[in-house]
Amino acid sequence: MRLGMFFREALRSIRANAAISVAATVTALIAVFILGAFIPSFMYVRSAVDAQTAKVDVDVYIADTATVSQVNSLREKLDGLRTDGTVAAVTYVSKEDALRIMKERLRDPSVLDELPSNPLPAKFNVKPTEAENADVIVAAVKDDPALDPTEGIVYPETTADRLLTAAKFVQWAGFILIGILLLAAVLLIGNTIRLSIFARRREVEVMRLVGATNWFIRWPFMIEGVICGLVGAVVAVAMLWGIKVGVVDAWAAGADSALTKTGSAAGTIAFPLLMIVLVGAGALLGAIGSGITLRRFLKV
Amino acid sequence: MSDGQDTGRPEFTLVQVADTPSSEEEMAPMFTAPVTDGKRHKNDIFRPGPGPMVEFRGVTKTYDGGARGLNGVSLRIGTGEFVFLVGPSGSGKSTFIRLIIRELRATPGEVVVGGLDLATLRRSKVPYLRRAIGCVFQDFRLLPDRTAAENVAYALQVTGHSQKEVRRRVPEILSLVGLDGKFDRLPRELSGGEQQRVSIARALVNHPRLLIADEPTGNLDPETSLGIMDLLLRINRTGTTVLVATHDQHTVDRMQMRVIALDEGRVVRDEESAGYHDETGEVLA
Repeated sequence: MRLGMFFREALRSIRANAAISVAATVTALIAVFILGAFIPSFMYVRSAVDAQTAKVDVDVYIADTATVSQVNSLREKLDGLRTDGTVAAVTYVSKEDALRIMKERLRDPSVLDELPSNPLPAKFNVKPTEAENADVIVAAVKDDPALDPTEGIVYPETTADRLLTAAKFVQWAGFILIGILLLAAVLLIGNTIRLSIFARRREVEVMRLVGATNWFIRWPFMIEGVICGLVGAVVAVAMLWGIKVGVVDAWAAGADSALTKTGSAAGTIAFPLLMIVLVGAGALLGAIGSGITLRRFLKV
Repeated sequence: MSDGQDTGRPEFTLVQVADTPSSEEEMAPMFTAPVTDGKRHKNDIFRPGPGPMVEFRGVTKTYDGGARGLNGVSLRIGTGEFVFLVGPSGSGKSTFIRLIIRELRATPGEVVVGGLDLATLRRSKVPYLRRAIGCVFQDFRLLPDRTAAENVAYALQVTGHSQKEVRRRVPEILSLVGLDGKFDRLPRELSGGEQQRVSIARALVNHPRLLIADEPTGNLDPETSLGIMDLLLRINRTGTTVLVATHDQHTVDRMQMRVIALDEGRVVRDEESAGYHDETGEVLA
C-alpha cells in the first residue's frame, strides 16, 4: 500500500533534517518523562490521602443506662443510614469487647484487673461510605436517648475535614498539571515540527504544485511526528524504569516509614500499564503536534 | 472530438527508447494528450469537449494591498495551441499563470480551464486540477534532496501510480527529455539546462493536457534555451496545449507563434505567428 511509501518519505525527511528530528525527539522525551514521573507520584499521593480518609469512622457510645429497646432503636437508625448508602458498615462493640481491646493495647493489662467494674461504654463503630458523610451520621444520632452522656459521639472531625480538602486539592491540582503538561508538550512538538516544515516550505510548495493532495503531503509529516514521539517516549520509559528499579523500589523495600505504608504501591499505576500509556501519549503528541502545525501550511 | 469511447482506463503505450529521440514519431506516443483521442485518465477532471483549454472572461486580480495583477483580461487559448505570454516584469504574466493553477482566484472575473470554472472548483479538487496541468518554472522547483529520477517519480506517486509503473515510466520519460545516464544525480549535480529538463519530465509524466512554463529559459544560456524550446515545441506537436511566459525575445522571434503581450495587467497585443515586438517595432520589455 501507500503506507510503505509514506513511511519511507518520513524516514527520508528525518534523515534529511537530523537536527530538527533530534530536537523533536528530545522534546517528546522530556514531556513524556515528566508525565511519567508525575502520574505515579500523583496517584501515590492520592492513594495515601484515600487511605487516610477511609479510616475516618464514627464511634457512637451507648450509655450504660440505656434500655435494650433504646439500643435497638439506635441500631435501626444506623441501619437505616446503611440502606440509603450513607454508611458502609455498623459494628457493635460491647462493653466486654471494649475492655478486651483495651487490654490488648495496653503494655501491662494487669492494671485493668484492679478496676471494680468495667468502666468502658459499649459503642457502635460506624464506617461512612464517604468521609463527607460523617456529618450526616452525627446529625442523625446526636440527640438519641441511648447516647452515653459523657462520651457521646466521637469522630476525627478536623482530621477528616483537612483530609477531604487535601484530597480534593490533590485531585484538581493533578488534573490541571497533567493538562498543562500535555498542552506544553503538544505546543513544543508542534513548534519543532513547524521548524521542520518551515525549512521545507519550498518542498511543500512543489508537492502542491505537482498535485499532491493535502493528506498525501500530511501523512509523511504525521508519521515523522509519531516516530519522534515514540522514540522519545521509549527512551523516557527506559529512564523511568531505571529510576524505579534503582531508586524507588530499593527505597520502598528498605524503608519502614509511615509514608510507604499509608500509600500502597497497589494504589498507583502498574508499570507495564504506565509504559503503554506513556508510549501511546508520545505517539499521540507527535501526531497532534504535526497535525495542528500542518493545517496552516496546507491552506490553498 | 469527444465521441471516442471513454474506457475510463487510459492506455499508456510507451516507446522503447535507445537514444534521445530525434523524430516526432518517437515522441508522439509518450506525449499524446488524452483529449485528442477522446480517452480520459483516471483522476482526469477536465471535461472533454471542443471548448478552449483556457478562457479568461473579464478577469481582474487585485491583491490584498490593492495592487493590480491583472486588469480586465478576456482571452481564449484553444486546445493544442502554442502561446507565448510576453511583457515586462510586473506586467501580470505570473498572475496570469497563478490564476490558471488556482494559486490565486480572480477578483472578479471568470477563469475556465479545461471546461472547469475555477471559481466554483472545490478546494479539495485543486490538486486534481494541478495534475492535469504540467508546470515548469524559471527556478526549476525541484526537490533538492532527491535525484532526477526521484523528482519525476514523486509526481507519479502523487497520482497514485504503483511502484512498478513508476520504475517503468521514470527512465522512459527522462530518456525522452535527453537525460540518459543522469537519473541518479541530485539537482545540484546537474546543469541549469539539465535541471530544467528534469522539471519538464516531471511536468509531462502525468500526461498533462496543458503545459505551462513560466520563464523556462530565464536562467539558461541561449544555446540551452533553444534546446528547451525545441523540446516544448515537440511536446506541443503531440497535441498538448503549451503556454510559455517569457522575456526571451530571441526565442519568440524565431518561433513565430501566437503572442499575447501584457502590460500593466492588460492585454496590449494578441497576434498569431508573431515576434516579441509588435509591427511598429515598439519595445515592450
